[in-house]
Amino acid sequence: MAFLSRTQIFVAVGAVMLALYVLDLVRRRRLSEEYSLLWVIATAVIAILGFSTPILLWITHLLGMLGAASTVFAFGLAFAVAMLLYLSIKLSRLGFENHMLSRDLALLRHELEEMRDQRKGTS
Amino acid sequence: MNPPSPGPHDLKGRVLIIIPAHNEEESLPGTLAEVRAKAPTVDILIVNDGSRDDTAKVARAAGVPVVTHPVNLGVGGALQTGFRYAMERGYEIGVQLDADGQHDPAYLGVLLEPVLAGKADVSIGSRYVEQTGYRAPLNRRLGMVFFSGIVHLALKQRITDTTSGFRAYNRAVMAVCQHDFPKDFPDAPLLIALARRGFRLTEVAVVMRERQAGQSFYTLGKQLYYPYKNLLASLMAFIRRPI
Repeated sequence: MAFLSRTQIFVAVGAVMLALYVLDLVRRRRLSEEYSLLWVIATAVIAILGFSTPILLWITHLLGMLGAASTVFAFGLAFAVAMLLYLSIKLSRLGFENHMLSRDLALLRHELEEMRDQRKGTS
Repeated sequence: MNPPSPGPHDLKGRVLIIIPAHNEEESLPGTLAEVRAKAPTVDILIVNDGSRDDTAKVARAAGVPVVTHPVNLGVGGALQTGFRYAMERGYEIGVQLDADGQHDPAYLGVLLEPVLAGKADVSIGSRYVEQTGYRAPLNRRLGMVFFSGIVHLALKQRITDTTSGFRAYNRAVMAVCQHDFPKDFPDAPLLIALARRGFRLTEVAVVMRERQAGQSFYTLGKQLYYPYKNLLASLMAFIRRPI
């Protein structure tokens, strides 16, 4: 297998190691399966580009990139943007859910206090 | 302008005054006493919005029901809690009133009249419908004119005081707002969203005072973020399909 440069090997090996780390995080329940998906896809794509020079060159040609390195960077950047957007959406939803839970909790606690006061009054 | 009395209506169990309070231990007792004195027949709810001072204690001492948020959710969240409370307990109208003593409860009658009479779904107590002598700082005034223009553009209706925190909402509006409401201070975007749903808004003239104590919700950081957020939210409220 012919590599274009030593960098390509570093990138490929790095991607595989990151993928293994992500899977290990899932195993240790530090990362949910849902969140691991994007990471696994991204590292797999980078690893394929790193290990297979023909595919890398073909995609570079297809996208009209000036160099093979740009292709790898482009994929990395695209993943970073996708991940950030995904996290922003998740964060917004979490904030909304948190908001709702706080309001529910407040009302329930108030009702509980009321009931306790009533019981105290009757007994 | 003479402040009128809240009127002869029997409002017991029909009208709930919702007072969002975030660290308002200083001004709250005065505000509560004034509401009791000038509008003895209405019920009051304090929504203690994650205060770190004795807001809840002060309110309880006054014998007023208090609902306490575990964290600070903002005025919007506090009102949402108040609306839900009002809906569950069968109140016809919810009135938003500031804890800081800006709003004179003597104007409750004027504020409630259009909603009680069924002429409007939301009644807004406005500083500007008539000359009432209130003058806000320049940046606030610019913002108010700007967002009043935005609302006018969107609704073809003139609302001069979009940031007024003295409003009355009927049950139909509260039913919607308990689930869907702006997180921050509910102003121009809320008015646009409500009108787009077919609710009728109206403005009545009231006199507002300087705040008695505590801090305004508008801090410097928010002054930069606020116009952006409010403009975007107004646009979204306008283009969003009313549910």
